[in-house]
Amino acid sequence: MSHATPVPSPSGRRLLSSRQIVPLLMVLIVGVLVVAPLLRILLATLTPAGLTAWGDVLASAMSQNLWWRPLMNTLILGIGVSAGCLLLGGFVAWLVVMTDVPGRRLLGVMHTLPFMIPSFAAALAWGTLFRNSRMGGSSGFFESNGFLIPDWLAWGIVPVLIVLIAHYYSLAFTIISAALSSVGADLVEAAQMTGARRPRIFFGIVLPVVTPALVSAGSLTLAGAVSNFAAPALLGLPVRMQTLSTRLFGMIEIGQAERGFVLALLLIAVSGVFLFLSDRLVSGRRAFVTVTGKGGRTRRFPLGRWRWPLFAVGLGLALLTTVVPVLVLVASSLAPQTGALFSNWTLHFWLGEGGGQIAQGQAGIFRNSVLIEALFNTLKLGLVVALLSMVLGLALAHTITRHKGTILANALSQLAFLPLLIPSIAFAAAYIALFGAPIGPLPSLYGTFALLVIAAAAHNLPFAVQAGRSVLGQISTDLEESARLTGAGPLRRMWAIIFPLAIRGLLAGAILVFVKMVRDLSLVVLLFSATSPVLSMVAYRYAAEGFMQFANAITVLILVICLAASLVAQALQARVQKWKD
Amino acid sequence: MAQSQPETDAIRITGLRKTFGEFTAIPDLSLSVPPGSFLVLVGPSGCGKSTLLRMLAGLDDPTAGEIAFMGHTVSSGAGGTLADPRQRNAGLVFQSYALWPHMTVAGNIDWPLKVAGWDRAARAARIAEVLALLGITSLRDRYPAEISGGQQQRVAIARTIAPKPAILLFDEPLSNLDAKLRIEMRAELMRIHRATGATSVYVTHDQVEAMTMATHVAVMNHGRVEQFGPPRALLDRPATTFVATFLGTPPGNLLPVRRQGDRLLFEGVDLAPAALAKGADEAFLFYRAEQVSTAVAAGRPVVQAEFSEAAPMAGRVMVTATTGSLRLSAIVETHPEARPGDRIALSLAGSPDAVFAVTGERIE
Repeated sequence: MSHATPVPSPSGRRLLSSRQIVPLLMVLIVGVLVVAPLLRILLATLTPAGLTAWGDVLASAMSQNLWWRPLMNTLILGIGVSAGCLLLGGFVAWLVVMTDVPGRRLLGVMHTLPFMIPSFAAALAWGTLFRNSRMGGSSGFFESNGFLIPDWLAWGIVPVLIVLIAHYYSLAFTIISAALSSVGADLVEAAQMTGARRPRIFFGIVLPVVTPALVSAGSLTLAGAVSNFAAPALLGLPVRMQTLSTRLFGMIEIGQAERGFVLALLLIAVSGVFLFLSDRLVSGRRAFVTVTGKGGRTRRFPLGRWRWPLFAVGLGLALLTTVVPVLVLVASSLAPQTGALFSNWTLHFWLGEGGGQIAQGQAGIFRNSVLIEALFNTLKLGLVVALLSMVLGLALAHTITRHKGTILANALSQLAFLPLLIPSIAFAAAYIALFGAPIGPLPSLYGTFALLVIAAAAHNLPFAVQAGRSVLGQISTDLEESARLTGAGPLRRMWAIIFPLAIRGLLAGAILVFVKMVRDLSLVVLLFSATSPVLSMVAYRYAAEGFMQFANAITVLILVICLAASLVAQALQARVQKWKD
Repeated sequence: MAQSQPETDAIRITGLRKTFGEFTAIPDLSLSVPPGSFLVLVGPSGCGKSTLLRMLAGLDDPTAGEIAFMGHTVSSGAGGTLADPRQRNAGLVFQSYALWPHMTVAGNIDWPLKVAGWDRAARAARIAEVLALLGITSLRDRYPAEISGGQQQRVAIARTIAPKPAILLFDEPLSNLDAKLRIEMRAELMRIHRATGATSVYVTHDQVEAMTMATHVAVMNHGRVEQFGPPRALLDRPATTFVATFLGTPPGNLLPVRRQGDRLLFEGVDLAPAALAKGADEAFLFYRAEQVSTAVAAGRPVVQAEFSEAAPMAGRVMVTATTGSLRLSAIVETHPEARPGDRIALSLAGSPDAVFAVTGERIE
């Protein structure tokens, strides 16, 4: 400060430098959380051992099994699921938003639920119903009751496709219906005024306006299907149907880490290519923000005599993808024989003591000490990750908005959204690559609870930043400044204005992260360890060993936890809305 | 208006009724205007003017009654919509503009022409023509989200007039613009009306728009037409208290009076002979702002009021004062020497401009 040359006021200088400290710190944090693992996994495959792995995977006698077949299956799944989801989700969205179908609100709510049910739940339910005796073990409900289930319907690509479509179509539905509701009545009526008939209005106006939403729904469901682990693992692995994610899991599990890393990079590349292509497809005319609001009103087309039949179709679809799988899981966790799902119900699989005739003498899940530990681990994981994610998300969102336009802020928002492009199982592989070995004085974190928490928080960053932004968006600077003009000090403003405005949004975001963690399998499956088991992993282990009832019972437990959390979130949401009116 | 030759009416509405469930938006409405008119429907929000416009456009069906364009019935309560928008040959400019966000400016104008089956050359020529008419030729390849509100407004108008509709409908088209643009677009719309010659129906709640643009004005309130006629006639001779106070800048003064003997008194001040009220015990006397003055003159009734504000207005001063819950406005030559809250004396003209019954109808 003691320069002879005149400088701008000292406080100005300090402000300048302190303005850069926070974003720099944030960039550092995001760098360690997101960039370092990805760099490390790339570097790990550039070592001599890594380069051999590249050769093995891409150009050797093994590459057919390691890369080409899994790639084929992955692509079939990705494209098939995405097409199926667009058709199904688009149809339901059209039905709910654009027509006068009865029970629109009910259908709208019900069709958002399938995405809440983890894909391994749907896969387990499928197995419970459609398993055949080819793999040994008990056969499923249908075969036990005399229906012959062909292999293609019991195992492999077809059931995986069906299960994934049933899971992801509700994501497509949510995106497409939001876009359709933004097509205001005025837009449609303006087209009607030209004398255009219904099909022409649909293809000329409605469809093009929602095209960006269709593309993003298609690419998100595709990315989801490509990186899904649970469904192909449960329904494909028994018949050696491999996808990139199951292959990568297998390689790391048997200790072929480099090959696993190579596959992880390839998986990232595959899903990246599709996301990039879809982005190019809609770029330039990206989001059609409908000009000037007042878009609340939508024009509903009369269905005439098709109203009730289409309602039945919509309701049937919702039941098949939500109520039926849950019911099957519940019934199966109570029935000793899968052939008789609804008789001889017993609580053995839940509470029974070990040593009896059923379940090879295994005790019920609530008597299994591993399970109790897993339950607490799961809750702990969900809570810690939720808390950490929201704190990080809020800090990042705040930094990005306050430093809007600077290079650091731009870099920050780009980096924070990077995990969105990385399939979670590949992200987990990257964390193994970085933290699998001791770094300097730091011990190896592999297999620790801490690693799982950090990886999960990092993978949730895009969502957390988004949630943080929307929370901050509710607190306009006007509100804070008007409080400031009353003479309230910073603490008082924080307590009386900012906290009440932010808390509900933060809680809602935290609960969503919590639910995501509780039902996650693909991140957990690589980072989980025997010392810190979580529920989804225990369920997966049971299922892999053929103890379907135990697996189903644990899945029901996961569903109950998720449902309870969702109800809390909904109650909060309702309160938020009440006060918005 | 033109009732003698109903066949030639561009728009004829007879016995129109519209209900939404329990709610009656329009109980019973009849109107007609000759071709080339500029009809303005004006009234407060919720008065049914937009509902009427939507029925004219064919977007809603009337519950009862008929709408005929150029002698052809297009909607009727009995038969629903008889003519779809194509057959109506009408165009609607939306309050929200309703520009299709995925089409460029030129694309927005082109689409209705395509739907109407114009060939390529004719479309290109017409697009160039309307773009030039509205002065937006340079915007032709932009998307709606990339242009300003005023420009969007012009595109919306260009799109509507491109297929050369015989009837143009406007739903509060200027309400989303700022004051300066609004005045500009008002002139622009009148120019376009002259250029196209299309019969226009224009919905607004802004009485200045109504008075400056219309050839015919229908003042609406609670789904009824309070008064219909040329703007000058409405201003000069309001038929109801609603019209008298809704139109005119500044608003006129409506003083409740009570008969005492053979005089009419307002708060004890003798204003006029009871004969004016045609025997009624209570009535409203209507004085225009220019009939009220701050200069006290002999023989003119004087009302004491509390001064609230004075605003310069085209070289004169508009004074507002209150007495009880009543606001009084006066147009005077010089700024009064008073501060808000001061008592001032306002003198009224010797005889009121109009006399209304307590029910609102005009007596004299």
